[in-house]
Amino acid sequence: MKIKTKEINRKIKVKSTTDNLSRIRDFIHKTGMECKLKKEAIGEIILAVDEACTNVIKHAYHFSPEGEIEINVKCKNNKFSVSITDKGEKFNIKDIKDPDLEEYHKEKRVGGLGIFLMKKLMDEVKYSHLTGNRNRVTLVKYLPN
Amino acid sequence: MKFKVSEKYGAVIFSIKGKLLGGSETNDFNETIRKYLKEGKKNIVVDLSGVSYVNSTGMGMLIRNYTTVANEGGKLKLAEINERMRGLLSITKLNQIFEIYDSVDEAVGSFRQTAEA
Repeated sequence: MKIKTKEINRKIKVKSTTDNLSRIRDFIHKTGMECKLKKEAIGEIILAVDEACTNVIKHAYHFSPEGEIEINVKCKNNKFSVSITDKGEKFNIKDIKDPDLEEYHKEKRVGGLGIFLMKKLMDEVKYSHLTGNRNRVTLVKYLPN
Repeated sequence: MKFKVSEKYGAVIFSIKGKLLGGSETNDFNETIRKYLKEGKKNIVVDLSGVSYVNSTGMGMLIRNYTTVANEGGKLKLAEINERMRGLLSITKLNQIFEIYDSVDEAVGSFRQTAEA
């Protein structure tokens, strides 16, 4: 049976603390359910958004709890799109190479897996710099017909 | 995350429950592993059957402890990981670092086999 995704737009704004990551995960879970996504897809999107927001807290706001993170979710035409906007330090994904997993494992390095996971779990990962010194990362997952 | 510690046939079993997110909440876990290493208990099994969610920081915490144990001449092995986590370990190729067992008993038994060999 074909499951039709429901068209929705949802938004949440939170302060840049790691405590708020659970609120963000719950928001994505609820929105994914509302959009009738499969459990597996919801799990992948939650993890990708968690990694993106963790990067914003760490690298854009340097753990300052006063920053703001705005998350917009759009589900339309079998495309689930999450955009995460911050006003922290500019961060360019192109500057970050995928980790060489062989080297990574040899050195047993910790960290640096977040962006790699985002790219693996989502179909599109786009970074953009907007007016008003805002940064945005957009994560897109295409949903099967 | 919460964890319980038990011992079986010379192995120390850490059973983790909840979300594995790394960060400061894992300090107690890291300290407890170090405490057992100081006592000379170097066969460590991490039972992940109660873990509902893991992110890259949580995986980093497992790698860090793997290294801590290995540097002391021991081994940290994983047991009872769910399908989602198995998938993540495969994507990140961390399944090439960790020995992963279907059950805690199998993980504990693997230390005995190594000792007998």
